[in-house]
Amino acid sequence: MGHLFGKEYSLEHVVDVAKSIVLAIHKAPQITGKTRIEAEILWGEDLVPVIEVMEQTGRAFRYVQWDYETIKRCHDKGESPVIVAIGAAASLSNLGWNCGSCGFDTCKEYNEFANGVGSGLLGGPSCNWKVLDWAIACDWACAAAWQYRVDNRIMGSVGAALGFLGYLPGSSVKLGLALGPPRDLVYYSREDVHKVLTYEMDKMDLLNSVPAMFAGFPGGGNPAYKTKDDWWAPPENVKFWMDPAPLEIVQDALFEKIPLIVAKYSGEIEARYKK
Amino acid sequence: MRKYVEDLDFRGEEHINEWTPWSPQDIRRKKGVLEAARMMLNSALTAPVAGGVPSTEGHLVYGQEELESVARKIEELAYTNKVWKEAFLYEAVMVRDSDVIIFLGNTRCHETPLDAGCGLCGGGLDCSNFYEKKTHKYGLVDITDRSSPRHINGPLCTARVGDLGYAVGSALWTACTLMVDARPFASVGMAGQKMGYCPKSGMVVGVPVAAKSKNPYVDVNVDYHLINMEKVLDNTRKVYGTARIIRGFDYRKWIPKPKAVGKEEEE
Repeated sequence: MGHLFGKEYSLEHVVDVAKSIVLAIHKAPQITGKTRIEAEILWGEDLVPVIEVMEQTGRAFRYVQWDYETIKRCHDKGESPVIVAIGAAASLSNLGWNCGSCGFDTCKEYNEFANGVGSGLLGGPSCNWKVLDWAIACDWACAAAWQYRVDNRIMGSVGAALGFLGYLPGSSVKLGLALGPPRDLVYYSREDVHKVLTYEMDKMDLLNSVPAMFAGFPGGGNPAYKTKDDWWAPPENVKFWMDPAPLEIVQDALFEKIPLIVAKYSGEIEARYKK
Repeated sequence: MRKYVEDLDFRGEEHINEWTPWSPQDIRRKKGVLEAARMMLNSALTAPVAGGVPSTEGHLVYGQEELESVARKIEELAYTNKVWKEAFLYEAVMVRDSDVIIFLGNTRCHETPLDAGCGLCGGGLDCSNFYEKKTHKYGLVDITDRSSPRHINGPLCTARVGDLGYAVGSALWTACTLMVDARPFASVGMAGQKMGYCPKSGMVVGVPVAAKSKNPYVDVNVDYHLINMEKVLDNTRKVYGTARIIRGFDYRKWIPKPKAVGKEEEE
């Protein structure tokens, strides 16, 4: 006998789906058979540190900003996404294959390079074959989520936050699979970002990212760019220069703000792994 | 409405059996696997990739001679590295026991990286680890010199390699859904790349596929390259013929029978 209904029941069930997805992660076939995969599940208030870090990295990278806005707004509405954190120990090679895909002649040379290095946003350095194993596991996580018909997206933005905060301590590469809330199109055609997105932002992102789309006649060697309706009056051109502003934002986010957030939460997170 | 002749005569029968190998009934079975492999390849193309950038190419290879060529290339590779030898020799047997091979490659990992400064390849905050070891002009990588002393001409953009992993993962997921056996192999991928499959790719993974009573890719015995179904059958052919000729008789006149128990004593 029972009667389940309402939003809370659905949200709780996403956690159960996440547990099933972790089974798929560990069942995923490997090429090497020697890559150690880790998975953890986070939701509710445990997402707060992740959201705070993403807010900072989002200042520097638009794709992180969209992930941050989506996850934060869902969380604030009481519709917490569930994050499946997926990591792998990929920084050292125990294969001895000497395949050369890392750029070194031998695994020994690569290991000498990789030992002790590692400050990338997503981790690294990495043995490419171990990254392949890890990526297959991440893909199986996504495929399992689709099989349960839960909206999901695999996110480097979340992976970077997990790295800063010390989640998945045995892993050198980390990604986060955001799951739910249980409705259509949370992470695609993102409704939760409507309130953040402006026409001007979208237009400028396109101008900056796909300038060839807006180029006028190139025969003169210095084409005008169609940045406005009356683009010829007067015409505007492209100029390349070192803009310190984006670098300053990266510097401030990664080396000023995020360390403060990490200091606030890392002790508690680290303690969980000591239990 | 246009009607096709085959629509008007839609009937037939297909006998399907994995025995004997390469018989019409076995080839019909293989054609089913080929259809599954095509769907696996489509799945690979829909896999999530960094930035939604198209970077996966695939190659389907089937046929007795084609699979034998791949198996021999794997055997050749086996002898280039002591660590590979036994595993690669086993995997060459698996290729011969397969119906179709899917090669999946990433077309960007060696030439047009993600350029996102993710750090996956070298652990830094920019892409210098990749570019400093490549021949390039203002970030445009020159891949025209394809000679390399290494099996794979690295370094590669590891984010793109990850995308290849997603493609392989999706192909394997679909294999599970369609209940065909499949596994990803480095040996098959490297052999395929050297043979020219996935010609635009910097890294290739091979996924042999089969639908047989026994999954070719698991539960192998020791010395699998020496003791496997093909060898067992061939050895049976080797010994059974001789076993027949060592004691022949004219079956039209006399066929030896087992002794009836107790009959000899009575007589």
